[in-house]
Amino acid sequence: MDFDAIVVGSGISGGWAAKELAEAGLKVLMIERGREINHQQDYATEWKMPWDMPFRGEGDSDLYDAEYAVQKRNRHFTEFTQPHFVNDAQNPYQTGEGTDFTWFRSYQLGGRSLTWGRQCYRWSDYDFMANARDGHGTDWPIRYADLAPWYDKVESFIGVSGAKEGLKQLPDGQFQPPMALNVVEQHVREAIAKRWPERCVTIGRTANLTEAKPDEARNACQNRSICARGCSFGAYFSTQSSTLPAAMKTGNLTVITDAVVEKLAYDPATRRVTAVHYLDTKTRTRKQASARLVFLNAGAFNSVHILLNSAQAGMENGLANGSGVLGTHIMDHANTLAAAAIMPGFEMHTTFGNRPTGVVLARYRNMDVMDGVGHTRGFSFQGGALQSTWTQGNRMAGIGADYKETLRRPGPWRMVLASFADCVPRASNRLTLDRTKTDPNGLPQLKIDFAFGKEELAALAQAKAEASEMLTAAGGKVLFGSDRPGAGGAAIHEMGGARMGHDPASSVLNKWSQAHEVANLFVTDGAQMSSSACQNPSLTYMALTARAAHAAVSMLREGKI
Amino acid sequence: MPISDYRLARRDFVAGLALFAAAAPSLAQAAQTSHKQATSPRHLLLREVSQLVIPRSTTPGAGEVGVGAFVLLGLAHGLAGSHGALPKTLPEGVAAHVGADGRLDYVGWLKAALDQAAGAPFMAQPPARRHAVLAALDAQAFDPKAGWHPWKAIKKLILTGYYTSEVGGSKELNYVHVPGRFDPDLPLKPSDRAYSSDWTGVDFG
Repeated sequence: MDFDAIVVGSGISGGWAAKELAEAGLKVLMIERGREINHQQDYATEWKMPWDMPFRGEGDSDLYDAEYAVQKRNRHFTEFTQPHFVNDAQNPYQTGEGTDFTWFRSYQLGGRSLTWGRQCYRWSDYDFMANARDGHGTDWPIRYADLAPWYDKVESFIGVSGAKEGLKQLPDGQFQPPMALNVVEQHVREAIAKRWPERCVTIGRTANLTEAKPDEARNACQNRSICARGCSFGAYFSTQSSTLPAAMKTGNLTVITDAVVEKLAYDPATRRVTAVHYLDTKTRTRKQASARLVFLNAGAFNSVHILLNSAQAGMENGLANGSGVLGTHIMDHANTLAAAAIMPGFEMHTTFGNRPTGVVLARYRNMDVMDGVGHTRGFSFQGGALQSTWTQGNRMAGIGADYKETLRRPGPWRMVLASFADCVPRASNRLTLDRTKTDPNGLPQLKIDFAFGKEELAALAQAKAEASEMLTAAGGKVLFGSDRPGAGGAAIHEMGGARMGHDPASSVLNKWSQAHEVANLFVTDGAQMSSSACQNPSLTYMALTARAAHAAVSMLREGKI
Repeated sequence: MPISDYRLARRDFVAGLALFAAAAPSLAQAAQTSHKQATSPRHLLLREVSQLVIPRSTTPGAGEVGVGAFVLLGLAHGLAGSHGALPKTLPEGVAAHVGADGRLDYVGWLKAALDQAAGAPFMAQPPARRHAVLAALDAQAFDPKAGWHPWKAIKKLILTGYYTSEVGGSKELNYVHVPGRFDPDLPLKPSDRAYSSDWTGVDFG
């Protein structure tokens, strides 16, 4: 054996797997498909002003149409952050008929931990019991109590700022001091609570430090809100700022980049993965490495791709797929702008600094009373209040001195609420390999079939009506609202495909994120998810990864693997 | 990197900014340079139109800081949707400027529209007349009943070019790259300038 463990992927969950396994004393190899990005020195645009950029931060639209046709639809994709997103022309995928799916990807050391939205919400038993309750999907083999101590561990290490609210549906955690609601958000929080005491607007729980962590060389957030360029202050959680240095400190971690994993080799006699095959994209040579344990953290869809592409004689439908559900029941939150309103009455108020989080309005439907209209799950809102600046001029008539003077001043306050609805797991939403089309590495392209259903549309319709009602009650004048979801993938919470479950006949992974059929194989990224909740999922991936790593180490020591 | 080095890095950065400001040519020199470069009729027209939209006040206007050239660059690379599909019904006078590739020649259209509205070459008009002609075109484009209008893309590029320039972004408005704190509620005085570095405001305002 070359290593004790191989971790495929270096993003949010891969970094955690590497850290936990290396700290347990295992010799770990981390394999990353993209380029190396070193903390601080490789954040090329972090200190650039708009006037330093060839296209002033807007980027070259013709180039983006030609080569970044999907990534450009991500609102975090700009000329400043373009180096942290894939080139779509070089990384093609297929979609089924009628599917509009934007697959946002960051192939690089650190993966999407560099570009993520940093929102960290615990799931509750409303979420872990959702499938059992309404019969969609398969029951989770874990409950909140199984994960709570791992949430504690992850939050304490990565640093999550947030306010404790005592909500059953959004459990409190190990928080650093919260960032502040601005004056309008504070007003909206109070106005909504007055009329609907069960509806809570709270500051986003975000992996941005409000207190430095000097032992880890991480500084407090500087309120720039340009996180996705990379942060030399180490103020938000990324692999580079947090888990990678911890893993490196053990002396047990080896990292290779520019290495695309093609498949896992499997020995039917021992029922173990025996090797990881990868393409060294710099030398164009095929290589392999072996280990006693393999953790797949390639990102939900790419982990599924690896398993599907690891088919061999006797397991033609892919590795660990005796159930036949591998690739099925993929999800993404149905997401849209539920309401935007002008908020009069605050013309004499302003703020200073760029807070790197919005607010969240926690789920309040379908908890102890089933009060959703046409749906059985939850929706929640994220958004915030902001003051217009010069871009309001794009919508305004006028030229000359008065026009310039108007744009010189902060504009009206607006409040926006974006809805995120739980996505029901469906067998028809699935990933397959397109055997006729290959990517530039010669691998079969992933094919995505995905559509939202009547449950998500009903939830977004209720969210739109209620968002409008709440902002109006807070004194807002609603300008716009939508109940039409963006494309699949637009929430950037794509998950599922190798779901966890009690029964090997209907799920890929057991309650330890371990393949039912392959004892030394763990999948601990978004692929393992059995339902979607309506909260951002990354914190849960991290907690599940830490939990699985500890379970794997115990099994290894007990000779079970 | 230990925390003390972070502080050092930030100090270096602030010191670097001061150096940069000291080394930068005076605004008048910059304006002169961009004026010299902008000698083609297309450049001159866009320089003038930019300056009419954002004129000199206590800070230089858009034409003076090279926004005309940015508009041309933006139009050449499809910014502000300028290489997107055109609507089926076009405002009067636009169709004549759509090329064989289906793309609109925005500058050609603008010149023709302004010349026609002026009843004579626009650039030969006295300043007050140019202002009036452009103001009328702008009012027409932003009439709520007007729908799609090519002037909106040009105006958007003028605003982008100006408020992302060093003068527009950091002299006319405020620019703070490292706020270092967040104040959630401050009194707003009538003289307070907006922030071009308020990225949320820029995106959603």
